[in-house]
Parts: sequence; structure tokens; C-alpha cells
Amino acid sequence: MIHLLTQLLTEAATRAPRRCAVLAPDRTLTYEQLDQHSDRLASTLRESGVGHGDRVGILAPKSDASVTAAYATLKRGACYVPLDPRSPDQRLSMIVVECGMRAVITDAANAERALALAAHAPELETVIVAGPQPGGEVVRSNGRTSTARGALAEPAPIDTDLAYILYTSGSTGSPKGVAISHRASLTFVRWAARCTALEPEDRVCSPAPLHFDLSVFDIFATCSAGACMVIVPDRLSMFPSRLGEWIERQRISVWYSVPSVLTLLANHGNLSALDLRRLRTVIFAGEVFPAKHLSLLMEQLPHARHLNWYGPTETNVCTSYEVPAGRGPLSGPVPLGRACTNMDVFAVADDGTPVTLPGDEGELLVRGSGLMHGYWRQPEKTRQALVDNPLQPAYAEPAYRTGDLVTLDEDRNFVFLGRRDGMIKTRGYRVELGEIETVLYGHPAIREAVVLPVPDELLGNRLRAVICCERDDEAAQEEVLEHCRARLPGYMVPDVIEFSDSLPRTSTGKVDRVRLSSVVASSS
Amino acid sequence: MSDGIIRNYISREIIRDRAVALDNETPLLEEGILDSLALLRLVVFIQEQFGIVVEDVEIVPENFASVEAISRYIDSRGDRASRLGAT
Repeated sequence: MIHLLTQLLTEAATRAPRRCAVLAPDRTLTYEQLDQHSDRLASTLRESGVGHGDRVGILAPKSDASVTAAYATLKRGACYVPLDPRSPDQRLSMIVVECGMRAVITDAANAERALALAAHAPELETVIVAGPQPGGEVVRSNGRTSTARGALAEPAPIDTDLAYILYTSGSTGSPKGVAISHRASLTFVRWAARCTALEPEDRVCSPAPLHFDLSVFDIFATCSAGACMVIVPDRLSMFPSRLGEWIERQRISVWYSVPSVLTLLANHGNLSALDLRRLRTVIFAGEVFPAKHLSLLMEQLPHARHLNWYGPTETNVCTSYEVPAGRGPLSGPVPLGRACTNMDVFAVADDGTPVTLPGDEGELLVRGSGLMHGYWRQPEKTRQALVDNPLQPAYAEPAYRTGDLVTLDEDRNFVFLGRRDGMIKTRGYRVELGEIETVLYGHPAIREAVVLPVPDELLGNRLRAVICCERDDEAAQEEVLEHCRARLPGYMVPDVIEFSDSLPRTSTGKVDRVRLSSVVASSS
Repeated sequence: MSDGIIRNYISREIIRDRAVALDNETPLLEEGILDSLALLRLVVFIQEQFGIVVEDVEIVPENFASVEAISRYIDSRGDRASRLGAT
């Protein structure tokens, strides 16, 4: 029985060695090649002293090389940590150090950056540049070709071992690592492959980068079916008409992305001029898909299934909703749907009672094998998120508090209402407004700062910062932006910066976000 | 002629950072200066500023690779518009 992600690959390579596993813009890997190359790279990791349970960074965009690196890391019994090449050095450095990362696998384009990161991280002893040799090239090492650790009875990997850590925005100013085990990942992967009825003939594509949990679907669910993972050329998603043509030409059959990419495709992709009959399933997740744009998309893809998947990184996907076709324009929010196989979701009202009737509201909780192990080295945050299931007092059982407020519709689907806290979605990414505010407060000239979401049809939200600053000239604005860019990934840098003499306060002395938002709304 | 206006717009509204030098050949896509949102804003700006309709099939990398490319694209549209107007 399969209990490790790596077994998906070895099985596929045995079943159909010559089938295409990864189709990248300039390279193809068959299952046999992916299996062999990741074996070689895993040996390089072992020779470099990487052992069971160690963390290995992957600093590269989604590519044949980074997919190989992910499998190699897992084969070594270690856990991979995607490092977004588009994130600033400071943030990457924070992740490398917090993880106690032992090695980084990178590509030629990012090798220098990886070495610079290693220079500031004493535990990061090894940098490997993947390709052109399957085993990769070690460009930094500790000099020891250590197998000493490995020689001591190293445990065989089991399904509760960590498979990867995905970093997301954290409210107190630094990103937090969501640690996911093989079992949790496989719970999603197995369900997802069945839900979409993946077959070896499928060509699966997701433009989501490696550090985004959507990538778990195209990397592992595709492999579980022995299908072909197709990688979108860099930046193609920006150009909807080209992207549409590419989807047609590549005969993509299953697509998975955030709604904003699909909104662009629906409005500017000229889809009706294309032959997209092969595109049989379109899945979206990460944020709310505005009904208007989803209707437009479904009109142009009448033969395809449209699935709304929901779940924070901490649970991967936990609910799914198939949008019924042929019912004309949609109205109202698309429901989150019902629980996936082997997962349970339920909502609890503020008074502790379960939400059972349509119209009642409560916070959504999730239990099941798909839950994260916890936040990496953040036991306090983990305790706040993974609570004892309040509906199961007889024995302790973890349930994840999503912080999402939901209700039930007449068909007993959960429907998203809003957040309990300062987390918002922009461009499909979750962002803690507090993390941006903490960075702003780190600027010496800023006395007070608040970041507000401004709803945007395409992006979900734009970010508007209101700051009280010693200076408020144009140079100050540039300086603040530069300060943010050096510390935050692009999607967290405020889109608008406004200066104010003071921030309005509520009676309890907190910044009055509601009042500020209404000022924002009326002035724009 | 259009290049100055475009360069100015990208510098002030998209890059928002004087430290980043922008000339007519700076690769806007490879450098990550234009993302999908910035591209859409730029398209709206071009339509309003130059009074042309940017067709969906014209939003392609070749036309937005650099200020030079954008400017060339706008000029070609202008030519086409005036030719059509003349007939």
C-alpha cells in the first residue's frame, strides 16, 4: 500500500516508464527519467550529509529541475521547503535560518543567490545546482563527505514524517511554516485524483508556484495517475490570449489555478475562437471567484466541469463544490461545498453550538488526516490553530480552526462569509495585514501604520497603507516602498501608500479600521 | 514620441522607485517590472492616453517587452487608425 509520496513516483515509473511525467517548455522527463534523476540527486544529498527529517530548500521556479528536487528530497527521507526566487533576500534568509536548512537545491539562474543565502546561515552547508547532470553539481559543501549520520541506524520514512513546509504570511511580522506530513498530503492527493477522475492520458496544468499549496495537485496527484504534468512557460499567464492558445496547443485537460488567472482568460482570452474541448475540468481555489466572471468562463467552456476547491494550506483542500452547468448566469457567492473524502468540516457558532441550519453562522473547523502537523517551531501558534475538537469532549482530537466564518445554504453546502481576523487574500495569496504593518513599523520614520484591504475584482484585494510619518513628501513614499520591497514578497507590498497626521481610534484605543475603510471607500 | 509618456507612466505609477533606472530597452517582462495587474493598468492607460482600442490579441509579450516595443506598437496602431480614417 502506498503511504509515502515517493511511492507514487516509483509505481508510475514501474507501470509506465516511457510515459511523459513532466513536460517543461524546453524539456521532457519520462517517469523513468524522473525516477532515476531524483535517485541520483537523492544520493548527492546523502553524500552531502542530508539525513532523515532534515530540511532541504528548493530555490527555483516550477520546472523539471525543481520537481526532481522535490522527489529527491523526499526519497532522502527529508522534507522540502520551497524558496520563492521572487521573494526578497531578507525573507528567504529568515526562512532558511528558521528551518535550520541543511541544503539548498537550486538552478543555474539562482545559484549565486543560494550561495549568498548560505553565507549567512551556518547550518546551510550544502548548495546543489540541479542539472545538467542528473545528480546535480555541489557548489558549496562542508568538505566532509559525511555518511556518519546515515550509517547510524537511520529510520525508514513513514507517513507521519514531514514531506514539505510551506511558508505563509504570519500576523506577528514573520512568515510561518506550515509543516505537512506524507499522510496529510496523500489524503488530499488520493481524493483529488479521484474527484477529477485523473487518467494516464490527462495533461494537467497549474501555473501556481512551488511554494503555493496548489502545486501539490499538479506535482503529486498527476503522478498518482501516471499522467503528464505540463509546466506553463514563465509569464505566459500574464497574456490571456496567448495562454488560451497555449492551453489549446498543449491539449491541457485539467487546469488548476487561482480565479484571477481564469478571470483574465474569460475576459481577454478569446476562448470561443479556440478548440478547448479537451479541457474537461477547470478547478479554482485560493480566493472567491466573482460570479460574473465565472459565468462568463462557463459560457465559453460549456463542456467542462468547474470545481471550486477550498482549504487553507493547513488542511490543503477540505471541501469541494461542483458548479452546476447550464443554469444560466450565476448569482451570489460560489459555495465552498462539502467535505472531501476522509475529511470532516463543521462550523461552530460563537456560543459553542454546532451550525446545523441554513442561515446560521459560525467558524469553520476541520478534522482529519489531511491536517498539518503544525507550524514549524511555533508551538504557541500551533496550539492556537490546532485545538481540541469542541464537539468531541470524550477524548482529545485535533481540529483546525480556519478563522473563516461560514453559513450553510439550502443544499447544505458551506458558504464563505468573511474572516475573523486580519487575514485577507490578494492574487490568491493569503496575507496577514499585521505582517505588513510590522514591517512598516520597522521603518524609523513611521510612527503609526495600518494596512487596509481594498476590494478588487481581479485581485481579490489591493493593499492600501495609511501611515503617520515624520515626512510625507514623494521621496518618503519611495523610501517606504523600498523598505517594504526589501522585506516582503511583491504581493505583500502595499499598492497605495497614504500619509495621515493621525489614525482614528476606537473607544478602546484600537485603530478604527472600519472608519478608515469607509474613508477609503468614499474617496476612491 | 509616445516613449516618453510610457516611460514616465511606468516609472511613476508602476515601478514607484527612483532608484530603478528605466530606459527604452529595459526588459519589462524579464525584470518582473510588469505583472498581470500592472499590464492591465498600462493597457487602460494606453487606451485613454492615445485613444486607441488595444485588442485582446495585441496584449502579447512582443508588444510589451520594453518601452521601445510598446511605443512601436502604439505608433503602428496610430498609423493604422489614420490610414483607416483617410479611406
